[in-house]
This record gives sequence, structure tokens and C-alpha cells, in this order.
Amino acid sequence: MLALLFKNFIRSKGTKIGLLFLLCIGFISLLIGKQFQDKQQNNIQEAVVYQKEHIARNAAFHKDEIGLLLYYIKFSLVNKTLPINSLAIGQRDVNPSIQSVTIRGLEAQKYDAELNNPNNLLSGNIDFSFVLIYLFPLLIIALSYNVISEEKESGTWKIVATQSQSTFLYILKLFYVRILSLIVLLTVLLLIAVFVLKIPLDQSLFTFYVLSVLYLLFWFSVCFFIVSLQKHSNFNAVILLTIWLFLIIILPAAINTYIVNKYKVPEALEVTLKQRNAYHEKWDMDKNETMEKFYKHYPQFRKYKLDDKKEFEWLWYYAMQQMGDDESAVQSRELESKLEQRNHASQTIAMFIPTLHTQIQLNETAKSDLGNQLLFLKETKLFHEKMRLYFYPKIFEEAPVDKENWEKFKVKTFTDSTETGFLKAFLPVLLFNLVLIGFGWRNFRTLI
Amino acid sequence: MKLLHAEILIAKQLRDSVFKNKAVFIITIFIGILLLYAAFSGWENYTSQNETSEKYQHESREDWLKNPDKNPHRMAHYGNFAFRKSTSLSVFEFGMEPFFGNAIFLEAHKQNTANFSEAGFSNSMLRFGEISIAMVLQVLLPLLIFFLGFNSIAYERENGTLKILLTQGINWKQLLLGKILGVASVIMLLFIPTIVVLVLVWLFLQDFAISADETVKMVLFILFHFIYLIFFCTIAVLISAISKTSKNALVSLIGIWLLFTIILPRTTQAIGAYIYEAPSKIQFNSNIEKDILKQGDSHNPNDLHYKAIKDSLLRAYKVDSVQKLPFNYSGYIMTEGEKISSRIYNEHLETLLKIYKKQNSFSKTVSFFNPYIAMKNLSMGLSNTDYDSYVDFQKQAEDYRYKMAQKMNALQIKYISNTKSDKPKIIGKEHWADVEEFHYEPKGITTVLENEIISIISIILWMMMLFILVKIASKKLKAI
Repeated sequence: MLALLFKNFIRSKGTKIGLLFLLCIGFISLLIGKQFQDKQQNNIQEAVVYQKEHIARNAAFHKDEIGLLLYYIKFSLVNKTLPINSLAIGQRDVNPSIQSVTIRGLEAQKYDAELNNPNNLLSGNIDFSFVLIYLFPLLIIALSYNVISEEKESGTWKIVATQSQSTFLYILKLFYVRILSLIVLLTVLLLIAVFVLKIPLDQSLFTFYVLSVLYLLFWFSVCFFIVSLQKHSNFNAVILLTIWLFLIIILPAAINTYIVNKYKVPEALEVTLKQRNAYHEKWDMDKNETMEKFYKHYPQFRKYKLDDKKEFEWLWYYAMQQMGDDESAVQSRELESKLEQRNHASQTIAMFIPTLHTQIQLNETAKSDLGNQLLFLKETKLFHEKMRLYFYPKIFEEAPVDKENWEKFKVKTFTDSTETGFLKAFLPVLLFNLVLIGFGWRNFRTLI
Repeated sequence: MKLLHAEILIAKQLRDSVFKNKAVFIITIFIGILLLYAAFSGWENYTSQNETSEKYQHESREDWLKNPDKNPHRMAHYGNFAFRKSTSLSVFEFGMEPFFGNAIFLEAHKQNTANFSEAGFSNSMLRFGEISIAMVLQVLLPLLIFFLGFNSIAYERENGTLKILLTQGINWKQLLLGKILGVASVIMLLFIPTIVVLVLVWLFLQDFAISADETVKMVLFILFHFIYLIFFCTIAVLISAISKTSKNALVSLIGIWLLFTIILPRTTQAIGAYIYEAPSKIQFNSNIEKDILKQGDSHNPNDLHYKAIKDSLLRAYKVDSVQKLPFNYSGYIMTEGEKISSRIYNEHLETLLKIYKKQNSFSKTVSFFNPYIAMKNLSMGLSNTDYDSYVDFQKQAEDYRYKMAQKMNALQIKYISNTKSDKPKIIGKEHWADVEEFHYEPKGITTVLENEIISIISIILWMMMLFILVKIASKKLKAI
């Protein structure tokens, strides 16, 4: 029986075209992911080469003045891109994965944007997560909207109803065939991905896979429920497409507007203006006042004093730069906490919207969400502080440039080790599935 | 009037039957609510974006003017900001705005990126799209039109009423036109109130002080959306007319809608981006740095290029050291350095923008096959939220930056002493006002129309094609 059902299902031209289309576009998404991965790797290699050349060249030019040298040289920190990231590019195309900073004020450098074609950002990536979240449901709808209703409309339903022991079991089998084909398709695509993108078989991939399967099952549950209402095919198609539209476009967009308006971030511009003034005004202020503030922040540097006879000293210069960061710290922290609130609020709301939840969780697993970006910014701050504390005493003591081993300043990498909890990732979608299947079941029992 | 009597009767009949359908009624009401919500959130976005931008533009200007007497080069590093402002039509069409950086820091020697885009501060949610009036008009209304129109003729065929209609002296042309008119009249019940609200909001936002340029843009915005919606009414009725059953019509129409609004826009842009790979920021910057070093490094005392300038200056003024020159030597060198570095930067930027343009060319060309892309590009152009506007904003900011830096260098050459004297090397603060405030001027209507000529041609072609198709269909269609 099952074998016959499967044959009947796969023989239909629409099914074949649909499955083939998804397979093709899924494969294209992997190619796009591969290109993204190569680009990220190239960037890192370039950053490594560039940093080496850049430091060596500057160290040769400014060999007498370490303070001036450090005015120029940049140190890079890389936000590690996992192979699985290519499946869900997320925010990684908007935000830079490499931060290059001098030891001068960080607030003036931290938010530098990536170079981008806004048109690409607007239309979005065709990464695997897009195929999964947007296109798989469409095929699921196309394959399931007329289960039963088609047979009823063509008059074959009565024959089925009299010939099978249980019509409900028959319906389940129809769904089983469809679910199985799509899960096989998903698995094949992910297997290709594992080879093409060299994704390690680890917990991240497992989470990614289970979440994807649950997401497909969610759409089957939706179809199951709608089919259980036993309406006309046209009605099913319209309703299912409307549900798709709601979950994919309208609700996410509405929630996004809500979050953007609720957590506005004027602090971003505030912090930029503030740090500019805080640093620049020090040029026209009493040097000792600036130094006093600097010593208060770093008591260990109190032993370095300004020479009254000199008009300019690097000690003073870096103390001024430091003030740019110190005096805009409040706004900077506010900005950070606002963004954290945004992230938190969207994750919480998303639990009630499976499409959104899946996208956010996939991005989180692939380390391409806002949370990862915030961690990276935090790490940049630590990295910057470390470089500062290393070089401050050298600058203040006017250490000779050639005594420093510049080769040792390699590009550093930040690895985001946040682990996605299974419960948090799977439970919301699972619950939706169970509720929909439950209601669908009840409808069938009362209506057939 | 008498001429279109039959058509109007058919249209009326369709409209009445539509409103008897409860589901359609609910969807229509719902889209109405969505339109209101879109207008409201667009308003909120626009006012908050412009208030913030104006506030900080003003504040940063005050800060600039408040600077005490100092060396002009310090001021060149103090710098200015360019904050992006939105145009009034962006209330209805957000376009690429969320992906634009909102502020550029403008200082000497350095071209900074446009930072703080909404997208950078957002979770992945933004990538699902946004609800704006334009999105409802361009994406949701076509779908509603398809839902209304899929059984306009196919259902009559299924029922057998089509034969009755045709035997009663109605010809295919009248039937098609009547049905198109019917679907359009239902959609107009949503479209016309929307336009009224739109115009009112637009007038209020500008306190009724509207410019000719903005008015033309607004009129075109309304006109083209009207034409666009009529396209979809026509497509819906035509597909319904050639389909055997209403189910086939529905499935085909949904397919067309998905292809036009979801699949094609994304894929064509992705293909463009895949084929023409753009350099990363680090590559872009290191290429510029390399080229500048080739030209000469003003920070390197032994650099050949700058040594040649120095020697020629010494010869021309018949002096033996730069300190004896009658003007400030380092100011002169910085002017030269700024000229070289910004020329090189602009060359590289030009190359980069060309790559972006090639990436975009795919989706621009596809507008011939897809009225949605044509409409989207045109409406983004009219509301100055398109790619060209963003590039334009960055260019205006860069022009301003260059002028500011060179102004400060000129002041240095003129006023700052060339010798190591005891006097502080500063000039009076009254000079700061010489640098005008940054003011972003959005592209005018003629530039927009020039840039979007492909979209306009494509819309005209679509108009002609659908007209011809209706003509052919009215001759060739059969009742069974």
C-alpha cells in the first residue's frame, strides 16, 4: 500500500519538478555559501599578510619614535567563521568579521562598517537557511494542500474510503510519504553541504539538522491541520499561502518595527560625538588636569610625568586619546545594553513564531546573529585594552622601536563559544507541532 | 457611457459577488489595517530618523564652531559629520534605508565608512523585510488581486455560465474588460483611501510647504502604483480566462506571484553578486594604501615625490631651507598629500562602485520580465532610498570632506608661521565659520528618471504587452 502511494506521489509531474527545483536551488545556496566561506578565508589571509607588511613598513619608517609608530599601526582581531556559518550567513554580511584597530581611542574605530552593496543586503542572501525557511514550506504546501480535497473533488475519495480499513490511517500514510521525501531531500542537501563546505560532524551540525527537520514537520503539521478542516482545494491553497505570508513576511516585519521603535539607539550617534569632543577639547585644556584623570584610571602609570619644558609628549597624547573612550563610556555601555535588550526581546518574541525562531536559532548555531556580533565587540574592547596596556609603558619610556619583536604581533582570533541549548532551540517548534497535530487529529476523528 | 455598458454591468456583478464572500471581506479589512500600520510606522521612522539626524548635525556644528583658537590642522582632525536625512516619500517606501549607514565622520587624510545602519544593530529579523505602504502596494495587493481574480472567468467556465454569457451577445473583449474593471474597482476601494491618507500624511509632514520636485515625485509615485496594480488585475483575469479550472488558475497565479515578488528579486541579485565578486574592506583599503605609497608617502621624509616638490620649491623661491619659505611648508605638503590620497581613493571607489553596478545590472535587466522589480526600483528612486541615492550621499560627504581638509590646509599655509618661533601656532576661531555646514541635497526628479529609465521603459513595455495580450485573447479564447 505504502509503496503504491509513494509511486503515485512521485510519478506526478508537479512533485518531480518541485523536488528537483528545491534540490537545484538548495545546491546553488551551497555554492553561494562556499563563495562566502572562501571570501571570509581570503579576508583572513589578507589580514594576516597585510598586518605583517604594514607593521614592518611602519616600524622601518618611524624607527625613532615608538609613540608615532603606534599612532599608525593597526592590529586585527578576527571573529572566527565556522564552516557551518555558510549555511546561515545571517548578520555576517552586514557586520565585519575582522576588526582592525590602533591603540588610540576605540570608540572612534569600533563601529566601522563593512563595505557593502546595499542592494545585496536588501534582497538578502540565498543561503541554505533561506531555502529552508522560505522555499521548503512552499513545496510542502504545494504537495499537501489538496490531500483528500483533490480526491473528493475528483470523486475518487469514496472508493478510497470503502477500500481502506481506516481512512485516517490512509491520510497519515499520504503525509508520511511526503514527509519522508522532503526529509530525504533535506538530508541529501546537508550531506552535500558537509562535503562541499567541510562542516565537521559536531553538535552544531546536529542542532542545525534537528531544527531543520522540526521546522519541516511544523509546516506539515500546519498543512495537516488545514487539511483536517476538509475544505475545498482552492480554500486550502489560499489559506495556506496566507499563513505562509504571515509567518514569513508580515509578522517578522511587524515585530521588527516594534523592536526598532521600542529600543531606539540614539546612543550610537551620541557616543561618536561625545568621544570626539572628549578627546579634542583636551588639546586646549590644562595638561595636568588630563593627566590627573589618566592617572586615576591607570594608577600604575603615575610614575610617568610630563616634562614642563616640552610642548608635546606622547604620554599626554595617549592620555587625551584615552579620555575619548573614558568620557564616552557611559553612552557606550548604554548602547551595548540597548542592543542586548533588542537581541533578548527578539529571541523571546520569536519563540511564538516558528519561522522567526528557526531563523534566529540557526543563526545562533552558525554564530552569525546579533549576539555573536555583540560578543565580538566586547572581545574587541578587551583585545584593544590588552594592546594598550602592553604599549603604554613602552611609549612612556620611549623604548627603542627596534628592540621590540614586531613579528610577534599576529592577527588574533576570537572564538565564540556560546552553546545553544537544545531545549531552547527545539522546544518552541516541537510544541507548535504537537498542538497542530493534536487539533488536526481531533478534526479528523470528528469529521470523517 | 453607453459604449461600456456591458463592461460596467460585468464589473458590478463581480464586485458584488466578491463582497458576499466573507473571507475576501476579512482579508480586505486586514490589508486596510496593515496599510494604516505601515503609514504609522513609516511616519514614526521618518520623524525619528530626521529628528535624530538634525539634532546631531546641529550639535556637531555647534561643537565645531565652539572650538577655541587653534592650529587649523587640529581642526581638520576634529572634523565634521555628515548625517543622512530622509526625503518625505521615504515614509511610504523604506527601500534600502535600513541598510544605509547614517553617519560619516569627515576628517583630514581619511575616508571613513558610513556607520550605524539599522541593519547592523538588528537581529536577523530585519532580513525578512519590512512593512511599508510601498510593500503592501507592491507585494500584498497583487496577491489580493490574484485571490480576487483567479475564478473571475475560470469559475464561469467550470459552472457553464460562461457559455450563457457569450451566447447572450457579450463578446470576449467586453467580458475581459468588464472582469478587469471589476477586480480593479475592488482594489481601488483600498487604493484610493490609501492615496488620500498618503497625501495627507505627506502634506502634514512638510507643513504644507511642498516643493515642485517633491510634488512631481509624489504624483509619479501614485501614478505608477496605479498602473502597476492594473497590470496585476489584467494578469489575473487573463490567466483565469485561459485556465480550464479555477484551481489551475489559482495555482498558476500563486506561482507567478511567488516568482515575481519572492524568488526572482533575490535570485537575480544573488547571481549578480556571485558573478561579480566585490573586494573586501581590508583588500580595498590595502590596495589604496599600496597605490598611495607608490605615488609617494608624505609621512616618509626620504620619499622621492615629496623630495622633488621640496627641491623645486626651494629653487623657485631661491632659498636653502623650507623654513625660509614665505609660507607654511607643511601645510603645502599636506595639501599635496590630500590631493593625491583622495584622487587615489576616488579611483578605487569608482572601481568598486562599478562592480556594484554590475552586480545590480542583473536585477535591473530582469525588470523587463518582472514588473515588480521595475516598480520597486522606480519607487525607491522616487523616494531617494535607492542605491544611487546612497552613493550620491557618500559622494556629497566626500566632496565636503575634501573641501574642509583643503580649507584647513589653506589656512595653515597662509597664517601659520613657518619657523620654529615661540608663539603658539594657532589661528583665530572666527575662521571655523568659513567652512559651511554639511547639507545633503537629494537627487532631483530629472536625475531619478534618468537613473530609472530602464524601469520606466519596462513598465511601458508591460503596458503594451498586456494590451496586446487582451486583444489576442479576445479573438482566440474559447468558451470550453
